[in-house]
Amino acid sequence: MKKSLIALATSASLFATGAIAGDIRFDGWPDLDSHLDTVIPLFEAKNADVKINYQMNDHGDHHKKLTTNMATGTGAGDVVAIDVGFVGSFINGGGFENLSGEKYGANDLKTEFVDYAWTQGKGLDGNQYGIPYDIGPGVMYYRTDVLGGVDGDIDQVITDWDSYIEYGKKLKEKGIFLIADAGDVAKTIVFTTVEPGNGTYFDKDGNSLVTSERFVTAFETAKRIRDAGLDGQIGSWTNEWYAGFKEGTVATQLSGAWLLGHLQNWMAPDTSGKWAVSNLPDGIFGSWGGGFLAIPTQAENKAEAWEFIKYLTASEEAQISALKTIGAFPVLKSTYADAAFDEPIEFLGGQKARLLFAEVANNISAVEPQKGDLIAEDVVMSGALTEVLNDGKDVMAALKDAERLLMRRVK
Amino acid sequence: MQTSSEEKLPRKLEKPGRASRIRALRKSLVPWFFISPFLILFLVFNAFPLGFSIFLSFQEWNPVAGLNSMKFVGFKNYLSAVDDPWLWKSIYNTVWLAFAANIPQHLIAIPIAYLLVASLKGTVRHLYTATMFVPFITSTVAVSLIFFTIYSANTGILNQWLLALSTMPFIGGLFSWVPDVMPIRWLGKSDLLKPAIAFVVVWKYTGFNIVIYSAGFLTISKDLYDAAKVDGCNAWQQFWYVALPMIRPFIFFAVTLSIIGSLQLFEEPYVLTSGNSGGVGQAGLTASYYLYLVGWEWLEMGQAAAISWILFLFIAVVTSVHFYFNGRKGLEGNQ
Amino acid sequence: MRHLSKIGLHAVMLIGVLITIFPFVWVALMGTHTRGDIYSSPPPFYVGNNLLQNYAELLDIMPFWTVLFNSLYISVMGTIAAVLFCSMCAFGFYAYNFKGKNLIFGIMIASMMVPPVLMLIPSFLTLKYLGILDTHFALWFPGAASAFGIFLIRQYMGNSITRDLLDAAKVDGASDFRIYWSIVLPLIKPALATLAIVIFIGLWNNFLAPLIILSSPDKFVLTLALRSVQSIANSPWGAIMLGTFLSMVPLLLAFMFFSRQMMDGLTAGAVKG
Repeated sequence: MKKSLIALATSASLFATGAIAGDIRFDGWPDLDSHLDTVIPLFEAKNADVKINYQMNDHGDHHKKLTTNMATGTGAGDVVAIDVGFVGSFINGGGFENLSGEKYGANDLKTEFVDYAWTQGKGLDGNQYGIPYDIGPGVMYYRTDVLGGVDGDIDQVITDWDSYIEYGKKLKEKGIFLIADAGDVAKTIVFTTVEPGNGTYFDKDGNSLVTSERFVTAFETAKRIRDAGLDGQIGSWTNEWYAGFKEGTVATQLSGAWLLGHLQNWMAPDTSGKWAVSNLPDGIFGSWGGGFLAIPTQAENKAEAWEFIKYLTASEEAQISALKTIGAFPVLKSTYADAAFDEPIEFLGGQKARLLFAEVANNISAVEPQKGDLIAEDVVMSGALTEVLNDGKDVMAALKDAERLLMRRVK
Repeated sequence: MQTSSEEKLPRKLEKPGRASRIRALRKSLVPWFFISPFLILFLVFNAFPLGFSIFLSFQEWNPVAGLNSMKFVGFKNYLSAVDDPWLWKSIYNTVWLAFAANIPQHLIAIPIAYLLVASLKGTVRHLYTATMFVPFITSTVAVSLIFFTIYSANTGILNQWLLALSTMPFIGGLFSWVPDVMPIRWLGKSDLLKPAIAFVVVWKYTGFNIVIYSAGFLTISKDLYDAAKVDGCNAWQQFWYVALPMIRPFIFFAVTLSIIGSLQLFEEPYVLTSGNSGGVGQAGLTASYYLYLVGWEWLEMGQAAAISWILFLFIAVVTSVHFYFNGRKGLEGNQ
Repeated sequence: MRHLSKIGLHAVMLIGVLITIFPFVWVALMGTHTRGDIYSSPPPFYVGNNLLQNYAELLDIMPFWTVLFNSLYISVMGTIAAVLFCSMCAFGFYAYNFKGKNLIFGIMIASMMVPPVLMLIPSFLTLKYLGILDTHFALWFPGAASAFGIFLIRQYMGNSITRDLLDAAKVDGASDFRIYWSIVLPLIKPALATLAIVIFIGLWNNFLAPLIILSSPDKFVLTLALRSVQSIANSPWGAIMLGTFLSMVPLLLAFMFFSRQMMDGLTAGAVKG
């Protein structure tokens, strides 16, 4: 706590020298409002001349509105939240403040943040435009009672994808699904085993990687699970998905740290104690989601906006508060020493899961966003993947079609 | 269209003086006065956006980068749209849905509207009309939540009913195939997705058409039916030979709206595929949906503008054909 | 025989009613449940006991009655303007011949064909230039001379206003405006009511325009407020469903009102079977 306050005070920011005053608006999507309700009074108490209000919109609507605001140079908040999925295409447009610049001095904060998340907020020019405020270290949630039912051992199950699938076959005899949707496995492999130096879909020179080994393995592994009837073909955020968690008919779920909060609060509160988390299978590390904060150049009160961003991201107070109120996992490394991380979590049968989350966070390697990522994600991970899994299209044929489609668009 | 009335009016011969010229001018301005709301609002609020989007279709533009970042690319956006497989796929889907989702709407709405107007009255009629209109006022959020639950593979009501039908006496035989194909994934298979979307569209917009057609049937005077009855027409003949020809302008209107509306179909497929690039095999990707994807998700506004003008042209051609064949009678009315 | 056909008629109607009212009832029922119950599988199809808590939560997450009033204000203003403007324009197109009429009518029909997703940014620029961003006026006024409405009313005039009637009025010396206001308008009441219904609902359910135009929370409308509290994972669905249900009620009442105008405002005489 003390350490990062000092960092705040000493960060070489021109703004920091004078007192800040003014009204700023924060644009984002729910549940950030619950978090802001808690921390805004704390921030305002320290900065009596700053008033902060916020405007929340549904996740998709927020990004649509932000696009319009950026396009027309009017109407954006002083601080805007950007989802990790959009951050690459947004911050490279030139409409946001370069936080590495002298006025802000964001680079001094770099070492305090989880490395991969910090890198994701960088523009192609190497400057920092977005500051991460939460991350979603990836883990495997699994039902301990189901595992016990087949005398399984979790370390053995997650050795690699083969052992994972073997576990699924044992479950199938009992009528339990290994996973809700086999597509998640393909996505996990594609997103987490990116070769060093490459982007997710393109190499440094913009050549497509879509038909490479990584994609083929990912798609084929998912297809093996689907063809063996080990997944429930259940989409996320549907009633059937929740039912799977509640009734124990689905044994594992690959997801981010934030899923824990949803599970225990409303998705399956009655199953408390029957769950645990482990690393992802095959020894990989990956993340699910995450958010960034940025300052549009059109903002009026940039100094105040920057102070508030620093408070939200680089103060332990705000980061721990976000963890507690909305389950947003901290991106500020010093928080991992907080007592909250040592707390056994009742829902997970007393496991000290946050330590695992933190360990995962520190092991994730950064993948730099590239220009065609948004298109590639739609064409490959929504398009080709569902064709392979649901319509039985050949893996290589689907990937080749996707690549052709992709390359005629991204050049 | 008929010639208007004013020229036919007898008038005294006047010397072409200043006063009469003013009168003539005033007279010629009268129609412009009446259509001025459209003209003014169109010029103020729509002219610029239309011009802008034509201009945009020749630019490369990531909207997030702001207005100054446009780059002129000539016809590139149009050329690359023409050989874009997803665009053609989306147009095919749009046309498929236009037929599957619109023909039933009218086939259901016309007879129901007729029955409502001709056979019912008072509160009963109001209640029926109002409830059938309910889908049209239901918000998209509720629609998606409800239909996801209905279509859900393992616990969805639709599949439960099909299963129940297969175990019923007598008709069970007709549904004996059902248990073998369960669970049917209505939203998870490319060949089932379009019918599933079409059903939602029919469900949502039929009530709207019922209201339009009710307004149409209400213009028919009672005397016409009485005359038909005297001539010995039965109920069916009254509907077919008396009522139906009379509401031709309304059919023309509703069909025009259907053509335009269905070629712009966006919300229902978007929601039912969870915005997931058109669902399995892009079976639910309509042209407007694709346009949205390109412009707002992939942030290629120039390309999206070009696609939207191609789509516009397509709709305009279809509508023109419709006007050419049906417009004479459709626009004229029955008087 | 007569009874039999009567029963058949009501059977057909009731089937239609069951299919169409189902979601409405469902939304109403969901408004009485907790989020956990709504997301059970299969979902509950009975009255729950969380209505009051949902109502309290709804008031907590948004100024429900304020945004409801804003929606009402915009819809009423827009409906009045649309009924006036559309009927004027339709009369202009129907009753007169003038140079350029077909061209303008064509442009009007064509203007319906431009996909609206693309107009968002330039429309925003227009409103910004005119200085009416963040006003309710910008929500109900620009669309008031709707091509749809003009077309609808023009078609209705074709069926209910005879040329002879217009000519006769002219001969009697009635002014153009008087013909429109005192003779034509009363005769097309059902069409005006139909238009009013559609416009009212369109304005009420519109959320894209409010999303980009409005920025002051006290000006928000119901659709926007209801959407803004939703996230894929963590929304108070019980409260949202209650809000959704409550937001449909005024629409249904508006429909009942206008539909009565439409059905009873007949001059041609109701048809009896």
